[in-house]
Amino acid sequence: MREFSISSQSATTTTGLSVAGATTLLFLNPAGAPNPNIEFLRFSVGQAANATSAQQRIQLVSQASVFPTLVSATPRPLKLSDPNASVIAGGTAGAAGTCGINASAEGAGSKTPRADIDDTFNVLNGYLFVPTPAETLIVPAGYTSGIGLWFPTAPTTLTGWNWTGTFREV
Amino acid sequence: MSDDAHLLIGRLGGVTYRRENPTEAYVTVPPALLITDSDGAAWTLGIQYIQHGQVFEFNVLRNDVDTGEMASRIEYRRGVVRIYGIDGWRTWGRARRGFI
Repeated sequence: MREFSISSQSATTTTGLSVAGATTLLFLNPAGAPNPNIEFLRFSVGQAANATSAQQRIQLVSQASVFPTLVSATPRPLKLSDPNASVIAGGTAGAAGTCGINASAEGAGSKTPRADIDDTFNVLNGYLFVPTPAETLIVPAGYTSGIGLWFPTAPTTLTGWNWTGTFREV
Repeated sequence: MSDDAHLLIGRLGGVTYRRENPTEAYVTVPPALLITDSDGAAWTLGIQYIQHGQVFEFNVLRNDVDTGEMASRIEYRRGVVRIYGIDGWRTWGRARRGFI
């Protein structure tokens, strides 16, 4: 199976990115059928900045149109030298078949929290979500909403954030 | 940017992590993303995995370098990094060369 990651490190950074506040970190909208479904395998969020200990809320949501305005991020294959690109392309509008990171505008579409991730973590420790196989999130091709990982509340320190989402096409 | 000498500096996902202090005791990866030890090294689980029935083990990374070990979780306790897998608990050696 072919696995890909979407990451804030897609942008060239050694110190992490600044977020605007209550921000969608990562947003993926599956492509239409008969393209493959998207199975999310892992999410991680960490803060590289030497910040003060604080709790930060994190949530996984589905969002219908209107989608966030994003920085384009192209999924990178996890298998070295994989010659094939993902069916998901980088995009800034959250449209079907695209993904992006670090939203500058959240979009008017309502966010529906999912049960998978509605959690809180200490910014010094970061957050790693690795579901067991029976609990992975599969988003079917043609799903009318996108899936977003976001901060429902603004972090105390906005700088130095890094995050990654890993998925496979099934 | 220069760093104060007392800062603990590690590396994770290609990004430099700076911390004032080591991670608190009993923090476990996952659900934490990283553990910072007293050397400043950043520990996390990588994306390579092996499956033993319903148990998954991931490669253990120290400052983005694969330690060659697989584990289900990493824990920081009494100033020592420990990993847990199908072989039970193993401890990062004081010589910092491997798990024992």
